[in-house]
Amino acid sequence: MIPLIEKYRIKTFEDIKGQSIAVQEVKNFYKTFPMKKALLLNGPAGTGKTSLAIALAKEYNLELFELNASDLRNRTKLEEVLKPSLEQSSLFKKGKIILMDEADGITATDRGGLPELIALLSKTPFPIIITSNDIWQKKFSLLRQKCKIVNLKELKEDEIKKIIIDVLNKEEKRIKLETIVLISKQARGDVRAALNDLQSVIDLGEEEYVREISEREKEENIFVIIKKIFQHPINEDTIRIFDNANIDLDDILLWIEENIPLEYDGERLARAYEALSKADIFRGRIYRKQHWRFLMYESFFLSAGVSSASKIKNDKFVNYKRPSRILKIWMANQKNQKRKSITAKLAKFCHLSARKAYNESFLFPLILAGLDEKSKKKMELDEKDIEYIQEKKADLIISKNLNRFRISG
Amino acid sequence: MGIDETNIWTEKYRPKKFEEVVGQDDIVKRVGNLTKSLNIPHMLFAGPPGTGKSTLALIVVKELFGKNWKENYLELNASDERGIDVVRQKVKDFARTKALGDVTFKVIFLDEADALTREAQQALRRTMENYTNTCRFILSCNYSSKIIDPIQSRCVIMRFKLLEKKDIEKRVKFISELEKLEVDNNSIETLYEVSEGDFRRVINLMQASASISSKITSELINTLASTARPSDIKIVLEYALSGDFLNAKDKLLDIMLRDSVSGTDIIKSIQKEIWNLSIDNELKVKLTEKTGEIEFRMVEGSDEFIQLEALLAGFVLAGKGN
Repeated sequence: MIPLIEKYRIKTFEDIKGQSIAVQEVKNFYKTFPMKKALLLNGPAGTGKTSLAIALAKEYNLELFELNASDLRNRTKLEEVLKPSLEQSSLFKKGKIILMDEADGITATDRGGLPELIALLSKTPFPIIITSNDIWQKKFSLLRQKCKIVNLKELKEDEIKKIIIDVLNKEEKRIKLETIVLISKQARGDVRAALNDLQSVIDLGEEEYVREISEREKEENIFVIIKKIFQHPINEDTIRIFDNANIDLDDILLWIEENIPLEYDGERLARAYEALSKADIFRGRIYRKQHWRFLMYESFFLSAGVSSASKIKNDKFVNYKRPSRILKIWMANQKNQKRKSITAKLAKFCHLSARKAYNESFLFPLILAGLDEKSKKKMELDEKDIEYIQEKKADLIISKNLNRFRISG
Repeated sequence: MGIDETNIWTEKYRPKKFEEVVGQDDIVKRVGNLTKSLNIPHMLFAGPPGTGKSTLALIVVKELFGKNWKENYLELNASDERGIDVVRQKVKDFARTKALGDVTFKVIFLDEADALTREAQQALRRTMENYTNTCRFILSCNYSSKIIDPIQSRCVIMRFKLLEKKDIEKRVKFISELEKLEVDNNSIETLYEVSEGDFRRVINLMQASASISSKITSELINTLASTARPSDIKIVLEYALSGDFLNAKDKLLDIMLRDSVSGTDIIKSIQKEIWNLSIDNELKVKLTEKTGEIEFRMVEGSDEFIQLEALLAGFVLAGKGN
C-alpha cells in the first residue's frame, strides 16, 4: 500500500490549496528567468514548498534536478553532477530546474557550504529553487539578496480539513467529524503531518489515535515546561507555570528529577536538587497530614525553586529524557516478588512483620536451605521456593567466597 | 501449627518459660507475677528489636491458657495490616466469643504499634476501651514516645533494655552446645558487636554461619554480617566527589534495587563511610552535617531517592571545592 502522503503528493498547480499568491509568484519567477537566478521558498514544514517545485516542473515540462547539502561540500562532485545535466539539456532540448531542498542544513562557514551555493547562483544556466524553514537567519543574508523570496504561510485549519475530507472521499473511507477536526488542529498548518495522522487513524483506528495524541500533547507540554524551568530566569510566569498545564505534579517531579543532571552541573546541580528536595518534603507532608495547602509550596519549589538554580538564560539544546526510575523500581520489584513471598511465609512463622522479615532477609537463603522436610512443609514452601532458596544460597557462597570457611575433611 | 518443632533457630531457641528468658530480669519478674494472678492489665512493651518483647508476650499467653493458648491469642502486626479498620474488624471478630477456661479474657498482641498513625491510635484506643472486659492488649513498639498518651496511660509500660554482653554470651554458649558448634570468645564478641544487641540477629547469624561451618570464626561472622550492608556505597561516593553525578546516581539506584535496600539503610552506610574517604577532615564534618540534614528530610519527605540524589549533588559540590 502506498502511504497517503505519497499517493496524494501534489503534482500540478491546480492541486495546490491555500497558496494562490505563492503559485503566482513561482510562475512569474520562471517566466522572467534569468532576472533572478534563484527562487527561495521559505515557510514551515508541510506547507507545500517541494510540491510547488514539482508542480512547476510539471507545468512547463521541465526536468527536476535535486541537489542536497552534501553535494555542495564537494566541488568535483558538484561539477560531476551538473555536467551531464548541462550536456543533456542540449541533447533533448528540454528545460531543467535545480531544486536545493532544505537549505537550513547548509553550514555558513564550511568549505563548500553556503559560499559554494552562492557561487553556483552566478554561473547556473538553469533556474534554481531553494527551500528553507527559516531563511531569516543571519547566515543567509547574502543568499537572500541574490534570490527572489516567496513566503509560504501555514495552512489554515479549514483548508487542512478540506484536504482531509477530499482524501477520505477519494479513499472511500469515513471517520468521525471530531477526529477530522482533531487532526486538522494537531497539524498546526502542516499538511504532511495531517496526512500522516490520517494514515494512523486509518491504520490504527480512531480511539487509539486520540489516545496517542493526548499522550503526545502531554509530553510536548512537559518538554516546554521543563525547558522553561531550567533555561529561563525566574519571572512571574515561572510560579504559575503548572496552572494550565493539566499535568500531574507527581509526573513533573519525576521529569525534573530525571533531567536536572542533564541540564546542570556543580553548584547549579546542587542548588537544583536542594529545591527538589524541599519540594519533596512538602509532598511528604501533604501525604502524611493531608494538608493540601502545602501543594503551594511543593509547586513553588518545583518551579521557581529549581529555576533559581541558574540565573542566566540559556538556549542550549538538551535532549530531555523520560523518567525511568519508576519503571526500574517496578522491574526490580517483579524480580524480588519471590523473595517477598518467601520472607512473608517466614514472617508468619517467626512472629515478625512481613516488612521486617523482608528487610532483614539477607541471610535467609543460608538459614532456609538447611531446613528439614517437615519444617519446609509447615512453612508451606513449595518446590519453586526451595529452588530459589538454593540458587540464592549458591550466589551468596560465590559472591562472599564462603567456601574458604568450610573445614576440610 | 507446632511451631516449637521447627528448625529455624529463632523459633527453636525462643524461650518458652519465664525462667528461660535472659536479661530483662525486672520485667520478667513483674510480668511473671501479673500472669500468676491470672489477671493481666493492658501492657505496652517498649524497646529495641530483638530484646524479647514478642517472646515474653508468647510466654504470658502460654502460661495463662496452657494448651488452649492458640484459641485465646491473636497476634497482629500493625505494619502489615492495611489500616486501622482491618485491625478493628479482626479485634471485633476475635473478641466476639468468650475465652475458654479459667481466664475470663483473651489476649491480643499488637506488634509494631508505633507503625500506626496518631489517628489510627485514637481509633485503637476506643477499641481497647470497648473490649476491655473480654480482651487484654499487649502492644509492642520500639519507642514509647510514638504511642499517644491516652494509650500509654491505659497500659502498664515495660521498658526493655538492650541485651548485655553477658546475656548474649550465656545464650550463645547454650545454643552452640546443643548444635555442636565451636564458638570461641572472639566470635562471641563479634556476634555481640555486629548484632547491636539484637538477639534475633545473633541467632540468625549463628544459624547462617552453621550452614557453612561448624567452626564459627569471627571472620565468618563479619563476612556474613557485611551482606547486610550495601558494600558499594564507597564507589557511589567516590563518583560523586569526582563530579560524576550521573554515574553516582545510577550506581546508587542499582544497589538499592538489586539488594532491596531502603533509603534509610543507605544513608546509614553513607554516614559511616564518610570517615573512610580520603578527604580532609573538615570536609568530612561538612558532609556529615549534610547527611544528617538529608536523613532528617527523608523522614519528612515522600521519596527517599530524591533526598539521596540531593545528598549526592551536595557531594559533587563538596568534591569540586576540594
